Amino acid sequence: MTTARPLGEFEQLVLLAILRLQADAHGVGIGRALEADAGRSVSRGALYTTLDRLESKGLVRWRLATGGEERARLPRRVYAVTARGLAAIRSSHRAFARMSRGLASILKDSGA
Amino acid sequence: MRPAPPRLARRMLDAVLPRSARGDTVRGDLIEEFGARSQVSPVRARRWYWRQTLAIAARSAVGRTVASDPNDPPVNRGSAGLRDLVLVDLRSAAKALIKARGFTIASVVTLALGLGAATAVFSVVEAVLVRPLPFTDPARVMWMTEVFADTGATMSISWPDFLDWGQRLHVYADLAAIRPTTFNLTGGEIAERVEGREVTWTFLHTLGVHPQLGRDFAESDDRVGAAPVALVSDGFWRTHLAADPGAIGQRLTIDGASRTVIGVLPRGFRYNPLANDAVYLPLGATATEDSGLPDRGNHNNVSAVGRLKPGMTEAAARRELADVEAALEREHPDTNATVAGQVTPVTDRLANGVGSVIATLFGAVAVLLLLAAVNVASLAVARSVSRRQELALRAALGCGRRRLVGYLVIENLLIALTGGLAGLAVGDGLVRALVAAAPPNIPRLDEVGLDAGVWLFVLGASIAIAFLIAVLPGLQASTARGQQALVRASRDDLGASSGQRARRSLMVVEVALAVILLTGAGLMARTLRAVTTVDPGFNPTQLLTVRFSIDGDRSTPARVELFNRRIVAFYDQLLPAIEALPGVVATGAAPSLPIDGANWNSVFVVGGQPVPPRALLPSAAFVPATPGLFTTLGIRLKAGRVFRASDRQDAPDVAIVNEQFVRQFLEGRSPVGQRFKQGWPETPNAWREIVGVVNDVKLNGVEQDTPPEVYLPMAQEPASRSALVVRTAGDPAAMLPAVRAVFAKLDPLLPLFDVHSMDDLVNTELARQRLTMLILIGFATLALVLASVGLYGVVSHGVSARTREIGVRLALGASGRQVVSLFVGQGLVTTAIGLATGCAAGFAMARFVEAQGLLFHVTARDPVAFSTAVVTLFLVSIGACYVPARRASRVDPTVTLRGE
Repeated sequence: MTTARPLGEFEQLVLLAILRLQADAHGVGIGRALEADAGRSVSRGALYTTLDRLESKGLVRWRLATGGEERARLPRRVYAVTARGLAAIRSSHRAFARMSRGLASILKDSGA
Repeated sequence: MRPAPPRLARRMLDAVLPRSARGDTVRGDLIEEFGARSQVSPVRARRWYWRQTLAIAARSAVGRTVASDPNDPPVNRGSAGLRDLVLVDLRSAAKALIKARGFTIASVVTLALGLGAATAVFSVVEAVLVRPLPFTDPARVMWMTEVFADTGATMSISWPDFLDWGQRLHVYADLAAIRPTTFNLTGGEIAERVEGREVTWTFLHTLGVHPQLGRDFAESDDRVGAAPVALVSDGFWRTHLAADPGAIGQRLTIDGASRTVIGVLPRGFRYNPLANDAVYLPLGATATEDSGLPDRGNHNNVSAVGRLKPGMTEAAARRELADVEAALEREHPDTNATVAGQVTPVTDRLANGVGSVIATLFGAVAVLLLLAAVNVASLAVARSVSRRQELALRAALGCGRRRLVGYLVIENLLIALTGGLAGLAVGDGLVRALVAAAPPNIPRLDEVGLDAGVWLFVLGASIAIAFLIAVLPGLQASTARGQQALVRASRDDLGASSGQRARRSLMVVEVALAVILLTGAGLMARTLRAVTTVDPGFNPTQLLTVRFSIDGDRSTPARVELFNRRIVAFYDQLLPAIEALPGVVATGAAPSLPIDGANWNSVFVVGGQPVPPRALLPSAAFVPATPGLFTTLGIRLKAGRVFRASDRQDAPDVAIVNEQFVRQFLEGRSPVGQRFKQGWPETPNAWREIVGVVNDVKLNGVEQDTPPEVYLPMAQEPASRSALVVRTAGDPAAMLPAVRAVFAKLDPLLPLFDVHSMDDLVNTELARQRLTMLILIGFATLALVLASVGLYGVVSHGVSARTREIGVRLALGASGRQVVSLFVGQGLVTTAIGLATGCAAGFAMARFVEAQGLLFHVTARDPVAFSTAVVTLFLVSIGACYVPARRASRVDPTVTLRGE
C-alpha cells in the first residue's frame, strides 16, 4: 500500500529536518531547524499537529527519551523517519526534481 | 535560577494538553525552548511562550488537539466540528462587514443610539426601582400607616394604636415605629438644622442592620425618663465627629437637650433614600403625657415597619392588620371609627412614586430600541438583496438553510455587539447628562451608573436584536434555491422586488413606532404647557422663603401659654425688622406655603348646621398667617377683609377661607359672618367667625386639586415651626444675608433652613414633567431621524433597483415630474399605512401614560399631539422620498436601454 496522498510542503520540510537531525530530532530541534534553514517562523501548535499526522500516516515513529533539568525533567520524543516515510519523501523529491529539470537558470538564486 | 514560563500560560497549557507522556513531551519542549529564548530576551521569550500556548489552545478549541494519541477514540468531534464552522463563519463575517463599510457603520450607529438610550434608562430603572434597599432581605419588610377609612388619605399611626399592634400583630418577627423629624443641633460652632428620625428601639433590628460602631438602641433607652441617647449616621460621624472611633460616649445638644452618642450606623445605610438622616433618637422616650403621643385620637406622623415571619405573606399581613383595626374600632369608637390600616411593601413605598415616570420612559425606550432594530433589519434586507448572488452561490454550493441563517446570525451578532459596545459609551454619557438634569426628588439617583446588570442588559438586548434582524433577511435569502437563484440573481431588478416588499413592511413598522414616540413627546409637552399655565393663586416671582423652628417647653398648660406668648412676641419683633430692610416690599409668615404643601389638616364643625357623624366631618387645610402674608404672596381678597394687627389673642376669634371652602361647605350662603370650630365636635376650641374670603391657592402643588383652605391669625394660633416669606424688589437671593442678620440679632441660636426662592419651588415641582418631556422629545427626534433615513433608504433603493423600468418609462414619453410623483406616491402610501397603524398604537400608549397619572389637563386622545405627530412625520417623509425620487427623474433613458 502506498501513501494515499502526496506530502504537503510543510510535511516534507518536517521529514527533511528529522532526517538531517538524526538523534537530535526532537520537538525543540525540529522547530529550530525549520526556523533556521527554512527561514519561517513555525507555530509549535502546527508543528505538533503535523508530527501527529505524520505518525498516524506511519511516516515517522518516535521513542521517549528522558529529559534534563533544562526541561523540568519532562520526557522528550525523539523522532525517526520510517521506511515508508523515506519512500514518501523520495517520491516527493523525485517529482520535484522532474518538474524542475531544465529550469536551473530560472530557479537559481540570483542574489547569493 | 532558570526563568519560569508565565504561570497563567502554563496552566492554560496544562488544561489543553493531554495528561500523558505525549503531552509532557510538548510541555517539556516549550519549557526548554523558553529557557533558551530567555537567554536572549526574557520579554520576547514570554511573548513567544504565550503565542505558542494560544496557538495550541486555539487548535484544541477547534478539535485539532495537539499531542493526542491517534489511537484514542475521537472525542467531541461533533461539537468540535461546529466550533470549527463558527470560527470560519466568524472570520468570513468580519471580512464581509469590513467590505460593506457603509452598511456596517449605518447599522452600528443606529444600534449605538438605540442601545445607548436604552442603557441610560435601564441604569436609572435598575438603581431606582430594582436595586435592593440597604437592608437585609428588604422584600420581607412591610411599611404600615393608618388612613382615613373612607378616602384612603394617609393620617399616620396613633401611638397607642401602634402599641396595640405590637401586642396583637403576629405576622411580624419584628415591628418598629418611625417618625421623621428635623432637629436643632446647637453647641457646635454654628447652630444648624439636621434631618433625622425618632424610632422605637427595634428599628435597626427590624431592618436587619447593625451599627458599625458602638451599640444599637436597647429597650431601656426607649422609655420615658431614660437617659437621652442618639445614634448617628456614617455621614454625620464623618462631618461632625471627625470619623473618630472615640466618638461613642460624646455628647450632642439636640433640640436644647444633651444626648450621648451610643452608636454609628453603617456606611451606605439610609432608611429613606430621599432623606439625609443624620440622627436617630428613641421614639418611645418622647411619649410623655404632654407630647400628644399617648392620645389615641392624635396621629402624629408615625409610620411603622415590620419584618414578616418566615412563611408569612403580604396578604396575611393585610388581613391581620384589618382584623386588629376592626377590633380597635370596636374598643375605641370615639377615636378609631374613621381609621383603617394600610400595608405596603417598603420597597414600593420608598420608590416615591417615580415608578410611573420610569415605567413610561422604559416603554419609550423599548419602542426606540425596536425602531433601531427595525431600521437595521431594513438595512440588512437591502444588503441581502444586493448580495443575493453571494448568498445564492453559498446555497448552490450546498450551504443549507440552517447553515445560512446561522452565518447571518453570526454576522448580525458582530454588528449588534459592536453596536452594543458603542451603545455603552453613548449610555454612559447619557446617564451623566440625566443625573445632572434630574429633578431632586428621585431616590438613589446618585447611585446610578453602568454596572454588571447594565452590561448584561446590553448583551441580552444585542443578542436579541441580532436574531431579530438575522431571521428576516436570512429566511428570505434561504428561499433562493441553488441554480435557479443564481440565474434570478443576475437579473437584479427581479430579485429586488421581494426585498422591496420586505423593506416596505419594515418601513410601516418604523413609521408606526415613530408616531408613538412623537405622540408621547407631544402629550408631555402639552402637559407641561398646561401645568405652567395653571394659575397657582399667588405670584411666585421675587419671593424669598426661609424656614425656622423655635424651641420651647410645652410640658404644662401654663408653659404652653408662656411659650405661645414668646412666639407671638418673636413675630412682633421679626416682621417689622424685616419690613424695614431696604429692598423688602412686603413680608409675612405661615407654617404652610403654597406648592410646598399643607402641614396642618384638620376636621371642623360648621355652625348652624347639623353635626354629621365623625366619619363625615368636613376637613380643610389650616394655615396660621400673619396679616402681611396675603399681600406678600399676592393672594387676592374676594370678600370681607384680611387680618389686622388687632386680631390678637384677646380679640374675637376670626378666620379667612378660600373660595373652594365656600363652594364646598357654605354653598348658597353669604360666607362672611358664618361661624365654624376647628377640631372634633367635643373639642373645647373657640368658634371662629369668617371675616374674609380669598382666592384659591395651589397649596399642595400645581397639579393637585386646591383643598379648602382656612387661614387663622398667627397671634391667635401661634406656630413655632414656620416659614418667613419676603417679597423683594430685586433678586430674592441677594436679600438672604440681611434676613439672616435680622434673625441672628433676635436669636443667634436659631437655625434657618429650606431657603428657597418661590420660583425654585415651582420649578422643582415642574422638573419631573420637564425632564420626562425632554427625554421623550430627544427620543422622538431620534425616531424621526431614523424613520426618515429608513424611508430615504427604501425609496432610493427602489429607484436604483428599477432604473431600467424608469428608463423605459422615460423613453416612452413619461415626464420627469410623473416619475417623481410615482416614487413619492409609493413612499407616501407606505408612510400613510404606517401613520394609521401608529395612531392606533399611539392611542394605546397614550391611555397607558394617562393611567400612570402623567397627563395634566390633556386627554389620551389629545388631537393636537396626534395631529402634530402625523403632520410632522408626513412632511419629513415627503422630503425623504422626494430626494431619491428626483434622482430617478434624471435617469438617462438611452444609457439604461443600451444596457439591455
